[in-house]
Amino acid sequence: MTPDKNDPQGRRGFLRQVALAAATAPLTAGLLAADAPAGVAPPPAPAAGPLPGYASLSPDEAGLLEAMLNLMCPADQLTPNGVDCGLAVFIDRQLAGDFGRGARLYRQGPWPAGRPELGYQLPLTPEQYFKAGVAAATAACRKAHGKRFEELAPAEAETFLQDLAADKLDDSHFALGAWFNGLVYPLFEQACFADPLYGGNINKVFWKMVGYPGLPATHANDMLEFRGKPFPGAADPKSIADFS
Amino acid sequence: MATRLKKRTVVIVGGGLTAGLISRQLTAQGIEVLVLERGGNPSNGAAEKLPNQRDELRWDVRQGLVQDWAVQTYSLRHSRKDSALPVRRMEAFLPGEGRGGAGNHWTGITWRWPEYDPALRTRLESRYGKTAIAPEILIQDWGVGYAELESYHDLFEKLFGISGKAGNLNGQIQAGGNPFEAPRRNEYPQPPLEFTEAGLILKATAEKLGYKPFRMAAGNSSGTYTNPDGLKLGACQYCGHCDRFMCEAKAKATPELLLFPVLLERPQFEIRLNCHVLGVDYDRDGRRVTGVRYVDLLTGEEYEQPADVVVLGAFTMTNAKLLLMAGIGEKYDPVTGKGVVGRNFCYQTSSLVNLFFPDRWINPFLAAGCSGVNIDEFNADNFDHTGLGFLGGGAITANLKGGMPIRGRRVPPGTPRWGTAWKQANADWYSHSFALTAQATCYPHRENFLDLDPTYTDAFGQPLVRMTFDWQKNEMRMSEYVTKKMEAIAHATDAKIVGPAVPRKSPFDTRAYQSTHIVGGTPMGTDPRTSVVSPHLQHWDAPNLFVVGASVLPHNSGYNPTGPIAALALRLGDDLVRYVGKPGRL
Ligand SMILES: Cc1cc2nc3c(=O)[nH]c(=O)nc-3n(C[C@H](O)[C@H](O)[C@H](O)COP(=O)(O)OP(=O)(O)OC[C@H]3O[C@@H](n4cnc5c(N)ncnc54)[C@H](O)[C@@H]3O)c2cc1C
Ligand code: SF4
Repeated sequence: MTPDKNDPQGRRGFLRQVALAAATAPLTAGLLAADAPAGVAPPPAPAAGPLPGYASLSPDEAGLLEAMLNLMCPADQLTPNGVDCGLAVFIDRQLAGDFGRGARLYRQGPWPAGRPELGYQLPLTPEQYFKAGVAAATAACRKAHGKRFEELAPAEAETFLQDLAADKLDDSHFALGAWFNGLVYPLFEQACFADPLYGGNINKVFWKMVGYPGLPATHANDMLEFRGKPFPGAADPKSIADFS
Repeated sequence: MATRLKKRTVVIVGGGLTAGLISRQLTAQGIEVLVLERGGNPSNGAAEKLPNQRDELRWDVRQGLVQDWAVQTYSLRHSRKDSALPVRRMEAFLPGEGRGGAGNHWTGITWRWPEYDPALRTRLESRYGKTAIAPEILIQDWGVGYAELESYHDLFEKLFGISGKAGNLNGQIQAGGNPFEAPRRNEYPQPPLEFTEAGLILKATAEKLGYKPFRMAAGNSSGTYTNPDGLKLGACQYCGHCDRFMCEAKAKATPELLLFPVLLERPQFEIRLNCHVLGVDYDRDGRRVTGVRYVDLLTGEEYEQPADVVVLGAFTMTNAKLLLMAGIGEKYDPVTGKGVVGRNFCYQTSSLVNLFFPDRWINPFLAAGCSGVNIDEFNADNFDHTGLGFLGGGAITANLKGGMPIRGRRVPPGTPRWGTAWKQANADWYSHSFALTAQATCYPHRENFLDLDPTYTDAFGQPLVRMTFDWQKNEMRMSEYVTKKMEAIAHATDAKIVGPAVPRKSPFDTRAYQSTHIVGGTPMGTDPRTSVVSPHLQHWDAPNLFVVGASVLPHNSGYNPTGPIAALALRLGDDLVRYVGKPGRL
């Protein structure tokens, strides 16, 4: 969908994106920089990008997910595109791990449908459910637009995603709205904002974007010194890797 | 065949907060206690060490310290007409496991409930008349008054080094404290935590409106502290990783830090970890329990553990389940209103409103779990309900809780859910917003109760506990009222945008966290026809069986419940010292 989506060079050419992100500091970071003590320049961000290869997704599944993530998180003045931020890798690893395999999920039948407020009620593991949804979304997209999702023009793709989220797509056999809102969207937000340890939020780009300082979060003094004021640490967040 | 073990004096099912408190009182008097806990030893793991302690995905979103729903969950139906389905991954409330129980990953907000709460029926009838409480609302007095619990509140606050500011010292209202507080003999053991920016905003606005804002009492240590047993707390680092986390700074008051280290040194104390209790043995004719059965999860072997006294301290759901499975006491029947086990099941009615301040730095990460400000004017029966058409109310609070970025962000209403505009809104508002929350009462209703699920079983082949629960008219009206008051306060701040304030509405939604304050199911009271245990928490049918914890509270107030739960547990410990010396009705 974005020109470089299927181009491995482009996809992994994140250095450019990192530079871009640094050059166009977000609102918060900009305000913070003005208040940062002179001479305390943040260390240069390490050159990192999404790990190559997927553990769970097939090429088709990855194609749809990557296109969706680059639509939900386009490259702009705030962050690189979703794939370059590691969002697809995050979701892939979650699906391939405990979460995707249904750890901590009660999985005994019978399996009648229930009100949404009772939560997820299918026998599928989250990984299986994710893939079933990709297949159903692909079919729904072909029906609505005659193409695969990753082939849609940006405006069409946006319309499709809006319809998906609003549960307006016609699929009598699979609840696409519940799939998107109950599984895909929470994974998207987690991919953006979880510690980079899990493969998303590369270079802490989303933490920088909002101004979340991350670790070590020992704020007993900051609490008073920066109460009601911009917090310098927000411009240069630290993650688990920085303390490991 | 289960192996039969040597008889013990007191056996406690569950090794959490209440078990720790009871054991402290008993072992101090030389009485032998055995605790059976299904989980392991939670200390010194990644959960309380930097850097992994700060992992929001692992501990918060994926519930790393919470009961494993694959092993045991609960089913829910919203009314008797529906059929229940298992909640396959609960988000609404998060029971703990492991030594210390939910006391490991609790937040630490520590209340004394109002003086009138233990005698709520008497209070409401004397204030509003005999017909004020509709027949389907099962409010009942506890049979023990606040005055009798005061010394135990005082002891708990000292043991846990609670930080706060008294609002009512021996009947004298204190500036800066909660004027609605029940009278207390002593100041809090430690001064309150610092204000957050959000707290200052609520404080200033509330004062302008004529309310009396105060800082919540905190199980986050405002300084370094040594408790009466010589156990220590470090000073809170305002890291904001309390709720659902263990504290890395050893500053959050927990059974692991403040009870078990002393207990483990005492020869009278034994705790067996990884022991899942399957049942209580009941001698119906003899009107007594003879012990419990459990499976050792490390070997798979089953044991029969005889005991002189059995205490159920395994949190609301297990307490109710063990009684229902053993058939101890009559099961509650909502049609006839007869029976007791499972009745008075209540939750906590919460709501919130988001506030956005373009020109103020809220910095949500500069906060402790309990560094919040409250007003109590619209809580419980702190205001006149004449003509309002409901009973109850809630505390209105500004509490930041650490601004964790996955779950702790807010964007103004109308923000797109993705794309550049979504990102920009997050960038603009993350540090410039907070929520006011209302934590409100939930009174017992005839149609809200617990029993055993007829279809679904847990990993041990036992029936799940089934909840029949929904928000009832009284709670929805109350929530509407309190939420409107909260919205008015939000508009009285200098917030540029105030999000919609949505009161709690039916149906009860298991997909959103609302607090782990599920209470009732084995209520206490003075009448065996409406209560499972006596005011001394002694079972009416089997006098050597005791039940403790939130399950004995016959209603939920507009406050976190652990203060009264702890006071009742300490009192039970002292009661049991007497009981062991001279068994009989307490
Ligand atoms: C996220 C969270 C935040 C909270 N924050 C607050 C707060 O700020 N303020 C407040 O007042 N309260 C709070 N609470 C509630 C508080 O944690 C509880 O009130 C308190 O822990 C109750 O003590 P308890 O001993 O009854 O239960 P627990 O401490 O949970 O102990 C019960 C123990 O029983 C064990 N158990 C259960 N079933 C079995 C079985 N079959 N066999 C063997 N063992 C079993 C469990 O594993 C557990 O360890 C919070 C709870 C949670 C989850
Ligand atoms: S906010 Fe304070 S008490 Fe809570 S986890 Fe952090 S250091 Fe511990």
